[in-house]
Amino acid sequence: MIYLDHAAATPISKRALRAMEPYFAEKFFNPSSPYFPAVEVRREYEAAKNTIGGCIGVKGSTLVMTAGATESVNLAFQGFASCLVSEIEHSAVLETARSLPMCEFVRVQANGMIDVEDLATKITEETELVSVGLVNNETGMIQPLKEIAEVVQAERMRRSKCQSSTPLFLHSDASQGLTLLKINAAKLGVDLLTLNAGKVYGPKQVGALYVRHGAILKPVVRGGGQEAGLRSGTENVAGVVGFATALSETAARVDGERKRLTKLKQLLIRELSKNFRVAPLKSHPEIGLIGDEKKQLASFVPLTVLGLDAERLVFMLEERGVLVSTGAACAASKGARSHVLTAMGLSAEAIAGSLRMTLGKLSDEQNVVAAARILTEVIQLERQRLERKK
Amino acid sequence: MSKKTVFVGLSGGVDSSVAAKLLQDAGYEVVGVYMKNWSKDLRGMKCPWAEDLADAKRVAVRLMIDFLVWDFEEVYFDKVVKYMLDEYKLGKTPNPDVICNQEIKFKLFFDECLKNGADYVATGHYAKSENGQLMRAKDEKKDQTYFLYRVERRTLERTIFPLGDLRKTEVKQLARDSQLHTADRKESMGVCFVGDVEMRDFLGEYFDAKYGEIIDEQTGKVVGHHKGALFYTLGQRHGLYLGGGLPYYVSARDIKQNKVFVTTDLNCESLWKKSVVLEKVHFISGKPSAGRMEVRVRHQAPLVGATLLEDGKTLVFDDKERALSSGQSIVFYTGRVTLGGGVIS
Repeated sequence: MIYLDHAAATPISKRALRAMEPYFAEKFFNPSSPYFPAVEVRREYEAAKNTIGGCIGVKGSTLVMTAGATESVNLAFQGFASCLVSEIEHSAVLETARSLPMCEFVRVQANGMIDVEDLATKITEETELVSVGLVNNETGMIQPLKEIAEVVQAERMRRSKCQSSTPLFLHSDASQGLTLLKINAAKLGVDLLTLNAGKVYGPKQVGALYVRHGAILKPVVRGGGQEAGLRSGTENVAGVVGFATALSETAARVDGERKRLTKLKQLLIRELSKNFRVAPLKSHPEIGLIGDEKKQLASFVPLTVLGLDAERLVFMLEERGVLVSTGAACAASKGARSHVLTAMGLSAEAIAGSLRMTLGKLSDEQNVVAAARILTEVIQLERQRLERKK
Repeated sequence: MSKKTVFVGLSGGVDSSVAAKLLQDAGYEVVGVYMKNWSKDLRGMKCPWAEDLADAKRVAVRLMIDFLVWDFEEVYFDKVVKYMLDEYKLGKTPNPDVICNQEIKFKLFFDECLKNGADYVATGHYAKSENGQLMRAKDEKKDQTYFLYRVERRTLERTIFPLGDLRKTEVKQLARDSQLHTADRKESMGVCFVGDVEMRDFLGEYFDAKYGEIIDEQTGKVVGHHKGALFYTLGQRHGLYLGGGLPYYVSARDIKQNKVFVTTDLNCESLWKKSVVLEKVHFISGKPSAGRMEVRVRHQAPLVGATLLEDGKTLVFDDKERALSSGQSIVFYTGRVTLGGGVIS
């Protein structure tokens, strides 16, 4: 099997898995219990949170642990009346944003980058929350969070000058990108940051929301008042410990892994170029590269095989042991076309042929070359089939 | 001579995928079509259509054949779902599969296939089509002619049922041999188009609950309550949560007064009928006939002897039949040939 879908899920790191194990049986205690073994578990839990926080330059106490990024996003939006989000957000953000009384959408440019000017014009006096994902999950485009933070800060200044009491927060979903980017929440200028263990070789259904001091949120899940009252429920100690182990392991390797994957990405494109014209979409290639490589996360190789149905290719690849994702209208996504590629203005043909390949830990030179060879083969087979019909 | 083209309805299940494979092996140019008849998710129920569609497409890709998706949702709702709901509203027990075959698969779909260049149309039904006649499948247990008796001769003449001479186990083995991933798919139960949903839960989406009494016919006592007499079928045993004792069977319903009558007596008179009056009697050949025949009163029921009287609608059974509901189809056979059938009025 050649796995090229690291943006969808990552295999849990062996160390993380080992670190989690004791908390299922020997150290099963409820961290809220008064006796020492439980207190010890509580300390280990807090330490794990500090480790996670450390990876993004914040204290563990600023993190609200959740059951995954979707919940983090829901918590970040809770209680606000008016938000501004980009039109290429993950559905966790889009659907949550749409549930607020007021919601406005920021345009994206053809290269997959958010139009910051459009964002600036769309912030109104009522806007309470701005949300832009750090790395887009379909294109891998790294969004200009710092610039966005400046726009948000300018609006805050304006509000304080005219003594407006409407708060304004900036949230970013950083589910994608943590494996290859060094992130410092404070430097990024965000008030709220969503983290996802399942994308960084940690367990699924474990996530966190960083909440900058002073940002006041309302809980989604009420109860015993854990996580500073923002997320009740007995702590998922094993999950959080697994997250901490996986994230610190990943964070230590960010630079090396980025270099490694950049090379693999170039190799993949080079291998495909042996048989096809591979180039950015606007130059009418056979295989179009989606997005702008300069601002793209190294692990992302989103491309479109023009004239072919990507979903057929996915199934053909699957038969041959290569697992990739599609951005096209796909049966599994209930026939809905990718809202991201649509917003970027890709043609129907380009969307229909779009594949999302994402590299990661399981990728190496050998399997990238093999994947390119197999993709080449299935593209040729599909073309022959269509040719025969004519 | 160029290859003949056959369009095959691919549902994502094992039967239709093997049908497609067999046609391809037989030398046809095969085009797979997924009919999208229902994609609505009902509250708390998962409609598996997206998965079915993906499975159907996988089969097409595996066989390297063309694949099309045709959206029949609107017509399907009008012709099949509405009909079904209307019938239930009248207190009848309709069979949506029969109507689906009559209106969708062997009319709308069939015509669309011909329009798109098909020489033949195929499905994964267990049945046989010979010279415009509908024959029972070799696998009697799987035979689906009960659902197909309302199709027309002109359609049958251009229909291929590649599974007619196969047993289910053989079909599964063929799927495995051809590396079709559908080989070990769980068979769907429940309402055909919605997935694993009980008919009563489905109806509950469209009819308001109307609480009423369940009355023991023998004692006249109220033994429980129900959410609507419409939801119950004559002879039904399941779902009457009356607890303990002998099982109760629905022996009668009073739709107007919203009452359900039950009995513990399997031989209760009202459950057994010697004859029924049919409506919408259909003969595949187009030539109505009367006289002795074998009939099937429900899918997979044993064949029983009966006589259709000269009026063409009164059917007299050799022996009494149990739990016949109006709306239910009765299908006529002679030998292995399916003559047609009618709906209990």
